[in-house]
Amino acid sequence: MKRIPYILLFFALGAVSCSKVDNLSAPSCTITGSTVDEGTGNTLQTEIGGGGTRLKLLETSYDSAPVPLYFQSMQDGTFNNTKVFAATYKVSVEGPFVPLVRTDNSGNTISDSSQTIQLKSTATLTFKVQPYLRVEWVGDPVVNADTTVTVKVRVTRGTADTAYQQDLTDINLYVSNTKYDGNNNYDPRYSTLTSYSGSTGTALLGQTVTITTKGGALAPQDTYLRVGARISAGLNQYNYTTPVSITLQH
Amino acid sequence: MKKYTIIIMVFGLAAIVAGSGCRKLDVPPKSIIQDQDVFGSSQGIVAYMARLYSELPIEDFRYSPQRGLNMFWIISPTPATTGEALSRDQTGSMQENPGPDWNIWSGCYTAIRDCDYFIQTIPTYAANYNADTVKRWIGEAYFIRGMTYFALVKRFGGVPLVNKVLNYKPGSAVDSLQVPRASEKATWDQVDADLTFAINNLPEAWTSDGKNGSRANKYVAAAFESRAMLYAGTTAKYNTTTLFDASHNQVCGMPTSEAAAYFQKSLSAAKMLDGHYSLYLSGWSATDKSAQYQNFVNLFFDAASPENVFIREYQYPNSVHGYDAYNVPRQLIGSNGYSSEVNPTLDFVELFDGLPKNPDGTLTTLDAGGHYLLFDNTMDLFANAEPRLRGTVILPGDQFKGQAIDIRRGIYTGAVGGGISPLLPAGSRAQYPTTNLVTSSTASQTAYKLPNGNLMNPAGLSGVFTGDQTCAISGFSVRKWLNPNLPTAQVLENNETQTWIEMRYAEVLLNRAEAEAELVSLGQGGADLQTDAMAVVNQVRTRAGAIPWTDPGTTPIDTIRKERRKELAFENKTYWDLRRWRIFSKEQNGRIYRILMPFFAANAGPNGQYFFDARTDERNDVYTYDPRWYYEQLPGNAISKSPNVIQNPGF
Repeated sequence: MKRIPYILLFFALGAVSCSKVDNLSAPSCTITGSTVDEGTGNTLQTEIGGGGTRLKLLETSYDSAPVPLYFQSMQDGTFNNTKVFAATYKVSVEGPFVPLVRTDNSGNTISDSSQTIQLKSTATLTFKVQPYLRVEWVGDPVVNADTTVTVKVRVTRGTADTAYQQDLTDINLYVSNTKYDGNNNYDPRYSTLTSYSGSTGTALLGQTVTITTKGGALAPQDTYLRVGARISAGLNQYNYTTPVSITLQH
Repeated sequence: MKKYTIIIMVFGLAAIVAGSGCRKLDVPPKSIIQDQDVFGSSQGIVAYMARLYSELPIEDFRYSPQRGLNMFWIISPTPATTGEALSRDQTGSMQENPGPDWNIWSGCYTAIRDCDYFIQTIPTYAANYNADTVKRWIGEAYFIRGMTYFALVKRFGGVPLVNKVLNYKPGSAVDSLQVPRASEKATWDQVDADLTFAINNLPEAWTSDGKNGSRANKYVAAAFESRAMLYAGTTAKYNTTTLFDASHNQVCGMPTSEAAAYFQKSLSAAKMLDGHYSLYLSGWSATDKSAQYQNFVNLFFDAASPENVFIREYQYPNSVHGYDAYNVPRQLIGSNGYSSEVNPTLDFVELFDGLPKNPDGTLTTLDAGGHYLLFDNTMDLFANAEPRLRGTVILPGDQFKGQAIDIRRGIYTGAVGGGISPLLPAGSRAQYPTTNLVTSSTASQTAYKLPNGNLMNPAGLSGVFTGDQTCAISGFSVRKWLNPNLPTAQVLENNETQTWIEMRYAEVLLNRAEAEAELVSLGQGGADLQTDAMAVVNQVRTRAGAIPWTDPGTTPIDTIRKERRKELAFENKTYWDLRRWRIFSKEQNGRIYRILMPFFAANAGPNGQYFFDARTDERNDVYTYDPRWYYEQLPGNAISKSPNVIQNPGF
């Protein structure tokens, strides 16, 4: 029983030292907006998760060379983060497009289209970018007699900058049962993945490419189709079409 | 009352002791080991060195990308990330995790600090020893430091170079401790400098350890120099990722113009081992394939092998592993309940010579009419297989520990007249049909009565079980490193002490050939280098029982890489090779690896016959290697400790 007074003393000491609550209120500012293809004006389709477009925030009010903060864009190229601290940020986007911040081969910055904002409540930002590739549907998907599906797409370059015109390496038709369809989420039984070496893929630029799902009849359920293509630049991320949904009935 | 008596006595004693002895209070605490205790005697130095070697970051029996270094639990084995094998516990490509027990980043800096401390402190005690001994010890510390920087740079690119002990005085500023990342080139050059220092200061052999042991000598340092400089050269040549810090230091990537100099260093270092080490050939015979096979198996067990350059030894119970427990075929399972974690893929098996192959290089399993080829025994398909393949992979039906390793996917009960057509269309990723097939979901099986009246289990003793992946899920089981003499009762986790061979002479030869071929491709060498590359590859091939290399062909670098993948398979080397060649993301680009399923056709022949179905992994596990992973993500705590340490691209 002798211990109890000591325990009480310990807690009493704790109470005395905690007279000031060192708590900053939760972040409540918003950064919202979109990444837009400069050529078409459409938001730039990407992949959810680490392999897609992301926002990079540098809190320059804190430090001239801060540790960057990142958050991920949504699949359709829009972004929205409602839990950001009020501060001055230098904001840019990273993804499958000509980088906003470019350096030469000795590390000098040669161009920088980051946007600097003084975030007080909400900032709406639009980043105009040149995608490496534009991947567009040509017509609607066609369900064949054997319940495979054939799609047509056209892939073109999104930039005239020859530094970002490497050979096209992959054109993939992804099949999934959710709309979050992409290189990190697809059904390998039906998706048709094609890699190209040398300039064989590049020769397909501007052409209508026809791709059919593989593995026989698709299952009778909601199915989402999406085509991704990439060049070997940056982190080799994919540019995508919009996802399209088809319902298969047997 | 007794208690008070004792207390009084203690005080009394203390008073007596204090009264006589404590004239000076500033004495070193007895409970802390002082520099004098460690550096003052050669036994102390041995203890210090033992610690340094235990910290040496090598990917041995206790390494997996999933759980890092020095972790006993190897159920997501390295070969199941590279395409060498499939494992039920590894379902795709992966970036290395820092590891729960021994964090790669902070662990390496602990090792570097221990080396720095040794290098700084030993000169004070040098008078106690003969000068030559001190020189050797310092050489060892440089070897371990160079190896540790190598482990860092191959993962992260440029890292902070800390070549003297950093001391923090409480209350002082920490700026000087926040060392920024050096450029990638400066880091590789640090590895080169440390290993070169080791080459120049280490003895040819330690009398206590011999030439083929676990202590670094001059040639060990040279062998690792050949590996490190080859990694540096290929990284300079093939890398496309770059990252500069604010002061224009290139922490990821190097100018391609640096490649040739690194390849030249790799070649020179590899040649230093000429005449001092040789390939293991003790049971080898030029004319006997089974002797070649047995020789390749024994190479991993013979402590006297002249091929061992640098090994890591284990000792029960202080330092142990469980390689056999995790990897024995299912029918030889130990009492911990693990088995068959490493199941070689058909893609890997097809790399080898001596198999019937289609024009596209895949294994022939069908006849000209598109029907399955039939065999009385599963081993008939592999009758002429390269001996090294049998020494590396347990093929279905091959002998191990006196048993035929029984691998069968199921019994085919359909008609066989006119030949058996493939169970699935070519390239199909669907499940096998259930008609005409008898299979088993687990190892407790119900025997099937064959037409001749005999009983046969639907699946083999080592699989394949459809509901339970504790079996040979690819149709193969790994052979390399498995101890053929370990009794099943001893096949347990944390029980094994088989030696890990981190560097063997075969790798040195392959480093040499690759450096030569790369130099030729860069226009830095002539026909003599090409000839030498072919000659050393042929030393390896001859020992393996493979077909010699006679025509250089248009892509000699690819030929050498393929040889390396076969020879060093399941030695945790391919993972790093695929990274440094920057082909991981090309090989694993939506890839599903292939497997070979043996079936028993009950109605074929008088007593039934086997056929093989080659298909993609039944689990449909997709391997996609993210190109970001060529430079690993730095641990968050490395960055939060020092704002001068910047993250790699994409993380």
